[in-house]
Amino acid sequence: MNEDASTAAESLMRVPPSDPASVIGRQLIAWFGHVADFLALFGQTLGCALTPPYRARDIMRQFHFVANESAFIIVFCVSSAAMVTIIEASFHMKLVIQNDSMVPGFAALLILRELGSVVMALLITSRVGAGLAAEVGSMQVTEQVDALRMLGIDPVRFIVVPRFVACVLAGFVLSIIANVVCVYCAMLVSTLKLGYTAGSFVTAMRAFVDLRDLAFASIKGAAFGAVIPVFSCYHGFRCKAGAEGVGLATTNSVVATSVAIIVIDFVLSYVFSYLY
Amino acid sequence: MASALIEFKNVGLSFDGELLFRDVNFAIAKGEAFAIIGPSGQGKSVVVKMMAGLLEPTSGEILIDGENLVTLRGKERERLLRRMGMLFQKNALFDSLTVAENVAFPLREVQQASEAEVEEAVRFYLDSVGILHAKDLFPDEISGGMQKRLGIARALALKPEIVFYDDPTAGLDPITSRKIIQLIVDLRAEHGSTVVAITNDMNRARQLGGRIAMVVDGEVIVTGDHARTLAHSDPRVRQFVRGLLEGPLTAGSP
Repeated sequence: MNEDASTAAESLMRVPPSDPASVIGRQLIAWFGHVADFLALFGQTLGCALTPPYRARDIMRQFHFVANESAFIIVFCVSSAAMVTIIEASFHMKLVIQNDSMVPGFAALLILRELGSVVMALLITSRVGAGLAAEVGSMQVTEQVDALRMLGIDPVRFIVVPRFVACVLAGFVLSIIANVVCVYCAMLVSTLKLGYTAGSFVTAMRAFVDLRDLAFASIKGAAFGAVIPVFSCYHGFRCKAGAEGVGLATTNSVVATSVAIIVIDFVLSYVFSYLY
Repeated sequence: MASALIEFKNVGLSFDGELLFRDVNFAIAKGEAFAIIGPSGQGKSVVVKMMAGLLEPTSGEILIDGENLVTLRGKERERLLRRMGMLFQKNALFDSLTVAENVAFPLREVQQASEAEVEEAVRFYLDSVGILHAKDLFPDEISGGMQKRLGIARALALKPEIVFYDDPTAGLDPITSRKIIQLIVDLRAEHGSTVVAITNDMNRARQLGGRIAMVVDGEVIVTGDHARTLAHSDPRVRQFVRGLLEGPLTAGSP
């Protein structure tokens, strides 16, 4: 290409398109670019997580932050959600079919397959993911990420991987805790308000759910845990300068992670439905 | 000129379809002090970040001691990058670490030095830049000048052959600026390193004592030493070094 043609092409690229097809086309290209960049970061993170050095001390510190410090708020929120679920389920069942004998089973099914893991993941997203996006974003705008690169330290291995491993483990563990607490709270409400005994609740529940449900819920928890730090760091690394840039990176990270959790929940639920 | 340690060959850079640099060619010799001047927003930091491997040019070659930084990957690239250190414009200090821990960080993470070696090196570098007394403070508890000194100490901790200083006197008063540049000159003499420094102040460029290049309109014009730069024939260089309002450069552009 000669120089004039090159300059003309560059000028055209700079002109904002006016027709809707071009606008949509450009946005699609940008969106696919984001997806490709995210997948590249995810792949790099996975590769680094599986190869030494493992930075065990950093992983333990992050695990403490994600799991231990999030446990109370998660237990509190999922308990409330479980209690509301079983009361609502009982009310509507009595309204429609005039008895609530299947409430323990349906409530346990809903809790183990959806509620426990998803609510837990959304809470980790708002508590840990948002903070991580802001932290990485401010490191990016103050050139600390470049400083790591200049010192020969891979920012993905140093920043993302310990949080990734910690969130996967924490997602797995917290999912079990959240689901067990949820079921216990549902049982408590059933015995105190709906006239069940603990034994009759468990018997009715086991007709619908078994340990596989808890195992699948834990896998979901680990999968949700995997995407939270990668989305947060992805948006942090792309953070634009200034307070507004950090705020935007945080917001985008929370929105993207929440959407991803819902989509992954659908995909995994669909896959697990073939395993029952 | 002695053998080139850093060499730009036909380097071009585009960003979002906009051509920032086209066919940039210049070389920096081993052990040289090289000052980069130019109006704000013309890409001085971009040129330095390309040298440091933090930005990839869209065309051309950047040779570091004969090896093309643009095409090197993996361990080979890491090995080359570890020969460089950088003081960033905003210092890029790790704010959750103390002054001493900031200097110790690369020694622990990169060199895996023993704690005794780390302690000795931290004392040496903090003493070299004159802030040993502040070793237990956090970066936001020390002055701007001290933060620059800390950034320099951390940049030198891995004994780099090439040290980049991205506007080391930005936001500092004239006396502190002069002290910082003198520190850079002294440390260069002591370590024998090659220094590339961005500055907007011709006095500081003269104090560095080497050649000067001006970044303007997507070009890098190597103007020579301080005297040659002042007498340079390019009207943009003349206007900038004399601080004239009249001329081809417009304040605040682009």
